[in-house]
Amino acid sequence: MNSFEINVSRLAQRDPALAAAIRQSGGGALEILPARTGLMSARANGRWIHSAYDPIKEAQAWAEGQTHQEGETIIVFGVGLLYHVEALCARLSRTAPVVVVVPDPSVLADAAAARTWGDWMDRVSWAWGTTEAIGERIADAGHPLRLVTYAPAASLHVDSHRAIETVLQRKTATQAGGQLRIAVVGPIYGGSLPITRYAVSALESLGHHVRWLDHSVHATSYHQLELLQNAQHRLALQSKYAEMLSRVTMAQLAEDPPDLVLSLAQSPLILPALEHLRRKRFLTAMWFVENYRHLTYWQQLAAGYDFWFVIQQEPCIAALKRAGAKDVGYLPMAADPSLHRPLELTKEERETYGSDVSFVGAGYANRREIFPRLVGQDWTFKLWGNEWDGATSLSSVLQRNGARVDTDTCQKIFNASAVNLNLHSWAGTGLDPDGDFVNPRTFELAACGAFQLADRRSLMPDLFAENEIATLSSPEALPGEITRWLREPEQRAAMAAQARQRVLAEHTYVHRMKDLLSRIGLASPDRIGPILRGDRQAETLAVAAADSFPSLASTLRTFPSTQRVELKQLATQIRSRGPMGILSREDLMLLMLDEYRSETKDLV
Amino acid sequence: MQHDDEAGERRLLIQLARLGDLVQSLPAFASLTARDPHRSLDLLCPAPLADVARLFPEVGRVLQWNGTQWHRWAESFVGEFQSSWLREVDQYLAGLTTESYKMAYVLNHHPRAILAATLLATEVQGPYLRGPLHEELSPWALYLRQVAQTRGSNRIHLSDTFCGLCGVTPPSVAPRLLLPSIDLPGDLAEVGISAGQWIAVVVGAGDADRSIPVAVWIEWISTMLAQDSPCAVVLIGTERDQPTALAIQDGLSPIIAGRLWDATGRTTLPQLATILKRCHWAVGADTGPLHLAAAVGASAMGFYFSRARVHETGPYGQGHWVWQADCAQPETWPIQASVKVIRESATVLEHEPVEGWSLWQSHHDEWGAIFRSVGGRDPQDDQRAVVWHQLTEQHLSLQGMR
Repeated sequence: MNSFEINVSRLAQRDPALAAAIRQSGGGALEILPARTGLMSARANGRWIHSAYDPIKEAQAWAEGQTHQEGETIIVFGVGLLYHVEALCARLSRTAPVVVVVPDPSVLADAAAARTWGDWMDRVSWAWGTTEAIGERIADAGHPLRLVTYAPAASLHVDSHRAIETVLQRKTATQAGGQLRIAVVGPIYGGSLPITRYAVSALESLGHHVRWLDHSVHATSYHQLELLQNAQHRLALQSKYAEMLSRVTMAQLAEDPPDLVLSLAQSPLILPALEHLRRKRFLTAMWFVENYRHLTYWQQLAAGYDFWFVIQQEPCIAALKRAGAKDVGYLPMAADPSLHRPLELTKEERETYGSDVSFVGAGYANRREIFPRLVGQDWTFKLWGNEWDGATSLSSVLQRNGARVDTDTCQKIFNASAVNLNLHSWAGTGLDPDGDFVNPRTFELAACGAFQLADRRSLMPDLFAENEIATLSSPEALPGEITRWLREPEQRAAMAAQARQRVLAEHTYVHRMKDLLSRIGLASPDRIGPILRGDRQAETLAVAAADSFPSLASTLRTFPSTQRVELKQLATQIRSRGPMGILSREDLMLLMLDEYRSETKDLV
Repeated sequence: MQHDDEAGERRLLIQLARLGDLVQSLPAFASLTARDPHRSLDLLCPAPLADVARLFPEVGRVLQWNGTQWHRWAESFVGEFQSSWLREVDQYLAGLTTESYKMAYVLNHHPRAILAATLLATEVQGPYLRGPLHEELSPWALYLRQVAQTRGSNRIHLSDTFCGLCGVTPPSVAPRLLLPSIDLPGDLAEVGISAGQWIAVVVGAGDADRSIPVAVWIEWISTMLAQDSPCAVVLIGTERDQPTALAIQDGLSPIIAGRLWDATGRTTLPQLATILKRCHWAVGADTGPLHLAAAVGASAMGFYFSRARVHETGPYGQGHWVWQADCAQPETWPIQASVKVIRESATVLEHEPVEGWSLWQSHHDEWGAIFRSVGGRDPQDDQRAVVWHQLTEQHLSLQGMR
């Protein structure tokens, strides 16, 4: 019997359906070649999946680099010839569950044909089938999960793995019930400032304890520096100012250490501060709600954050990883339905803010070039927003002399306009040829139930369907598209309503924050994951402590059962017994630990 | 049964602060041992200082407090508290002692020391009267707090207030550490062998604002070694002080290099104590090594400025000297005058005043250490006897109430 038959027959004893699927697949996904040591190695798409010299040594080195804690289930992405799985099994205790994800049975067929598997395969479970089936299988394997990736083999099924991770994140999100303490670090000013506000609000609505370290209070001083004529002085002082605010942030974090520090783009945390936070075991994440091609300071910060969330996919994600980011995820923009919503407008408001066609935004180059062709048409066009100085051909349509438009006014304009133009900013002429991410305006207009005509973006189809948002493929087509849509009020209304439903179902900041936390929870099974699952809640802890530490269990039961309890709360509760309180040995140990805890976060 | 009774009477002295505080606990330790010579007295101290604690005469077991490990535990617990982890802490405490001490004497006004005492002993004597959650201070702790806040007329040495905290009076003679024969590394073996005066110079200090400038040391050592009579200097300090030591050596004339040894960062604490014992004098601003020098029999001379004050933390015992600055950061230094003290101790009582500094010499009597002004008059009366009587009465009265 050859190795294929030996392996598949053995596999059939535990998973006959998978064995049948392997036989049926016929293999052929990998090119099997001998390595220098004589063992079989493999290539795919011209790249080696395992070492061409010594696949076993390479697999052992990979396995050595993986972390695992007792009680966790290891989920392996990447099949190849399974050398890495064998090495991982050799390194882990025999009781540690290992699940290998098999997106394509033909790869496993190749692995079965290449060499005979050892007894380690009896320890391994296989998650295969559809994305949902794999997600279910992994979820059933038991918590907490630790995902590990053997990159050379996993690169063959990147999309599939991403979809599986999304399923797992959703499952984590639905199970989430614990309260995290999250410090949100916002910018001094700019477009990410309102996003920070929405994120804070969403996290609070999910029941987390959120502390917004709001640096917008320093904006006036910061803007004073912009008035300095000497560019060298200005840049040096702005840099010093950001450094000082970084220190302020550290001091704030030290006073009340959170479980997670979430920064929004432009937050003034510098790399040395982030490195110090990591040394002190703070978990940090950045939601970079900017175009990575325009703002490039991420290159200096990439290695500083534990998690990056970006509004663009490849090549943005790869670029961040090359710059040192360890974990990068796609997290598109969203809307806040409590602010971005349909409004009942008065007649006066309709007259003031209404028009056939409107645009709200700053005067970027592409807009200055495109919009003049909208002037002098059969329909009314109102242009709102600032930074339109010098655009003389647009002065007849520019509202309020180009004054900045606040959020409330924006909502009124969106609600009062028949066609809302949504032209993503770009420094060139025409439409951005690399336009990928979808701006917040798209989601906000949709949440308002307002019809919009947006420029085509490569990531739009994943977020909205064609019957939800009208898209524009070239500047030349814009007048014709406007004319067309103005003639179809019923279809406009239907599309706007469907777009709003889509936002409410999938694209609110609450959805985004759930996704963000579940990704972090999944990636840190020993830290954020247990809190999200509620493992740190008083009753759960009390049950765990009951046998060994009855006094501690009794203290824990003085808290509301679902309240998250930590050392700090326990120590406070013990101290609250007053001067004559009786202290058990456990109480004293906890008070002692709390004394050291209070000195642990010496960040400043 | 007799064994069990004895075990139940075990006592523990707790000192979790720094080197100087541990050495200054020696008088309290000696008085407690003298009061109950048949009952063992153990000592709990920071793990890095355990070798010094073992030099205490008649010390029982030395328990090592692993602050680094506690920090690690605390860090692990933050944000991810798991009750099962308490088992590790419990095992560590059980490893310190399997049975509770009958009594723990606490010398630090820090919650950690008080909590450690409550964890390890059934009765606690120290700053708090009624346990870790009741912050009512004992009479001696109140006195210490008042001294820390106002200083004023206090003339009771910190070592003697430690005695008061433990309910004993100061020893009639300043106790010494029991130093066994310890080998010194390399060229340091020569220290103290040849004739003449050997002087240990403590080059650094715990905090930057308490350090003596390098230029001052260069001038001081040059002056000291410029004399005709044989004399040698040993620079002492930690690894952190090595750059300072090198800077001092760079600034000295090559002619005197043969009379200078650099021991900074090269010794364990027992080796440092050995060097100090082989020297006739220890000079510097860092009180920790000065206390150690005094406790092994060397004469100590301190330059006290910044927060250091002669009456509370001068070197304990008979015949030590302290130059006390009038201000926190002195601009001039008593270089000639202090060298003269070492050279001509017998005639120093005739010394002329040095602007910005006052000179004090230590004495020892029934109330412990006392520093008396040299060439001037102490503006404060010695009220130690009155304070001791008052605080002892208050202590006894509280004991009666309890």
